Formats: sequence, structure tokens, C-alpha cells
Amino acid sequence: MFRSQHLALKYFAAAMTLFGIMIVAGLLASTQYVQDGFLLNILDFSVTKMLHIDTMIISLLMGFIGAVYWFVPIELERETVGIRLAEVMFWIFCAAVAVVAAVFIFVQYGPATEMSLWFINQGRKYVEAPRWAAIGITLVVLVFIYNVVGTAIKTKKVTGIMGVLMVDLIPLFGLYLIAFPSITNMSEDQYWWWWLVHLWVEATWEILIGCIMALALMQLLGTSRRIVETWLYIEVALVLGTGILGLGHHYFWIGTPSYWLGIGGFFSALEPLPLLGMVVHAIYDAGAHRMKTTNKPAFFWVMAEAFGNFIGGGVFGFMMTLPQINLFTHGTQWTVSHGHFAFWGAYSCGVLAVIYLALQKSRAAQQLDGAAWKWSFALLNIGMLGMVGALLVSGISQAFYERAMGGSTLQAFIEGQTNVWFVQGIVMRLVFGFVFAAGYVVLIYDLLTIGKKRTAAEGLQARVAGGPA
Amino acid sequence: MTAVQMLGTSLLLALFVLLAGCYGVLYCLARLRASRRIGRAAAAAYALQGLTAGLLAFSPLDFWWKALLLASFVAYLPIPPLTWRLLENLHEPEEQHS
Repeated sequence: MFRSQHLALKYFAAAMTLFGIMIVAGLLASTQYVQDGFLLNILDFSVTKMLHIDTMIISLLMGFIGAVYWFVPIELERETVGIRLAEVMFWIFCAAVAVVAAVFIFVQYGPATEMSLWFINQGRKYVEAPRWAAIGITLVVLVFIYNVVGTAIKTKKVTGIMGVLMVDLIPLFGLYLIAFPSITNMSEDQYWWWWLVHLWVEATWEILIGCIMALALMQLLGTSRRIVETWLYIEVALVLGTGILGLGHHYFWIGTPSYWLGIGGFFSALEPLPLLGMVVHAIYDAGAHRMKTTNKPAFFWVMAEAFGNFIGGGVFGFMMTLPQINLFTHGTQWTVSHGHFAFWGAYSCGVLAVIYLALQKSRAAQQLDGAAWKWSFALLNIGMLGMVGALLVSGISQAFYERAMGGSTLQAFIEGQTNVWFVQGIVMRLVFGFVFAAGYVVLIYDLLTIGKKRTAAEGLQARVAGGPA
Repeated sequence: MTAVQMLGTSLLLALFVLLAGCYGVLYCLARLRASRRIGRAAAAAYALQGLTAGLLAFSPLDFWWKALLLASFVAYLPIPPLTWRLLENLHEPEEQHS
């Protein structure tokens, strides 16, 4: 194995650790909805929610970076350039995340001064990391770009997938710089902030996971390069064609000109179309290989990604994206329901697939299967479906009673919080949150053990090859 | 838009895309298993999507959104067969080679 791949395994371990912290923070935040005063003035909802969202983002980012470090040496047939620096940056990244989390938990907030921006919290949702840590993340991404581009230059080899990946790294880095300026005009601030949040998620991340899945499919199903590259180009064209101006659905109600209602609604309505193409592709691949693979968990997580992306992003998104409907639904638990499902389907499932692929190779297991991954797959997906279903009920209740009937007054908001549908949805979200957490525990057990026990035939083969039995 | 209209319209919009997904999945299964019965089910799913689009025509959505829904209903029809054909064409040289 290349050093780059050892580094990838470290990134995966860090990603899974953060995934666990995200679940704990999510359970705490869900409990605070159900139990008034839970951890009040100790760990307020604002902190648990921030931890939940930020760890989700960093966990996925680490998963993506790990996946690229895993595939680059395979793709370019050499060690990643600057790997020592990358290893150092990994530990700096982990230390920075730990310090930021500690500051969020123990310091929480500071006075409205520059000092707070630098050392406590930048105050911008999803990218709250204090400025010093944000600069650190920027450096990590710069080193990451240097590793990928430097390796391609050194080998004088740019495959189609690597070309798309390298171009995608420019906005991945550039858009993050929007996290820094502190703009006092709220509308202006939101306008640019959505460039970071939406264009990261629905453009650069989509392409990044597209590249990663293309590389994964070549390894998992032996799909030819010509096929995955052709499909990647089509996907990039469709996703960017609909996704970039789909940004407009965030501009409906933040004080931007009204033409964004038309632009945002139009392009958002087109977004499910390429997702249907991806579903067709997934079923074709599954059928072409008759569901036969040496890595069942990775295969099923790839399938879950295609379907999760379509239902979470496509169905749940389309339900509330047209401006006339979005007027009532934005900012309710309805949006939260869509957000959970879309992130899970589009990204988390893909990262889990790549982790299983990497484990198969790193543990030299010919076959990856067993009972534990099936349990974790079922519990995580049932937990997620239960949570998004429950949040949808709560969100519909808010949009219906508080917004459409109550006219969005403060009184209607307060009454909406005690509505029986809202409350039951919030309670069921917590219940299914525990189901999801149980799935995570089984997942971690499986990731730690799967592929380590060799069959008698594999052991014999390893002994013949002179390896450890 | 009243509360009931808002809820009804949003659920119909979800159903619209969900039925498109059902049509796509059933179309693929029909091709994989060479089953006319599943093919008919795919056609039924697409017809139901059309029915949903028809019901949305009576919703309080603005004219242009209704026109967009109609256009996207038409656009969903060729996606599964075109994607399938593209994938077959892409895979064909490999299958011949092997």
C-alpha cells in the first residue's frame, strides 16, 4: 500500500469519529426540542446544533479528502507528491478540529469584538470555525490541491477523472474564502454566504463525489474507464446546468431582487431530471453484474446513494422548491427533513461505500460480507427514513398551522411549537435518532472487524504467497 | 393560497417526482427481466405521473409553473430509455471484447 493510502485510512477514521460526535450532538439537540431546559446554560441548543452541523460538514470533507488520497496513487500509479506534508497537515487538521470543538463546548461565545471572530466563532452558520481555524482549513485544502496537482504533473498523466477533479478543486478552495469577510448588511452577507453553502454542496461537492464514485465503480465493479468518464462528463454537465442557478431557491426571501423567484424555481425544478438518470445507471450496473460483487457493503452503499440522492434531493426538494410553496415551508422542519435526507443520500452513503472499498484492499480480503454490515445498513437507513418522516410531519404542521393559517406571527409560532403534530414529529425524530445511533455503533464494530477474519482458503492462499495467514 | 391548497399542492409535487422515479425503476426492471408486465407497470407509473400533472393544473400555482411541470412531465418520458441506450452503447464494446 502507498503512504497516501495509509493517510486515507487515517482520514476515514477521523471522519467516522466526527460522524459519531455529529450523532451525539444531534441527539442532544433533538432532546432539547423534546425536554425544555435540557442542558440550559450548560450546553445550549445553539451550541449542540452548531456542533451537529459543523461536524457533519468536516466529517464529509475528511471522507472526501481521504477518498482522494486513497485513489490518487491507484489512478496515477505512483506515491502522492508531498505526502509527508500531507501527513503533517492531517494531524494539524485533527488538532484544529479538536480545539475548535473544545472552544465551542467550553467557551461558546464572546464579546462582539475582533478577538471573538479570531478565537471563538466567526458567527456564520455552517462555517462558524474561528478565523485562525478557518485559515488552517484553507492551508489543509491548499496542501491537498498541491498533492493532487503535483502528482499529476510529476507523472505527466491527466486522466479524464483527474482532470475534472483538479478543476473542481479550484472552486472547492476559492468558495471557502467567502467564509472570511464579515459583511454588516444582512442581505448582502446572505447573498455571498449562499455561494459558499449552496455552490459547495450542489456544485463542487457533487462533482467531487462524482469523481470519487467514478473511481470507486472502476474498482468495485470493474467498470471500464471509458464508461465512467463518459458518464462523469454527462453528470458534470447536468449537475452544473441545473445546480448552479438552482442557487436561486435560497434567494427567494433574503432581500434579493424578485427575478430570483423565477430563476431559482425554474432551475430547481429541473434538478430531479439528472438524478433520475443516475437511478437508471445504478439499476443498469446492478443488473449487468447480477448483484454479484466481492464487496457487498460497498455495493449496497453505492445503490443507497443513487436512491437516497433521488428521493432526498429530488422528491423532498421538489416538494418545497417552487416559490409559492417555499413561501410557507422555508425555515421549518420541512427544510430540515429535506436537508437530512439529501446529505445522507448524496454524500454520506458514497463516503461509506469508499471506506468499505478501502478496507477490503487494506485488509487484503477477497470477499467482504457478513451480518454486521447488513444490520448497520438497515438501522442507519431505517433511522434516517424515520427521522426525515418525523421531521416532515413536524414541518408540514409548522407550514400549515403557523405559516398558512397563523400568518407567521409570533403568536402563531409559539402556538405552532405546541401543536400536537409538531410535538409528535419531534418526539419520533428523537426515537429514530436512537435507531440511527444504534446503526452507527454496529457500523463502527463492522468497520473495525470486517475482512480481518480470513476464510481457510484465503489463509492457505496467503501462506502460499508468503504473507501472514 | 390557503393552507389546504398549499399542503395538497406540495404533496402532489412530491408525488409527481416520486412517480417519475417509479417509472424509471420499473422501466429498468422491465428491460433487465425482459418482462412485458413490468413494462406495463412502468407505463402505468408514467400515466399516473401525467394524472398528477393534470391535478396540479387545478392547483393555485402560477401559469408558468404549470407550464414548467407539463414540460418536465414530457422530459421525464425519454430519460430512462435514452439513458439505458447510452449505457448499452457504452458497454457494448467491452462485452464484445470479453
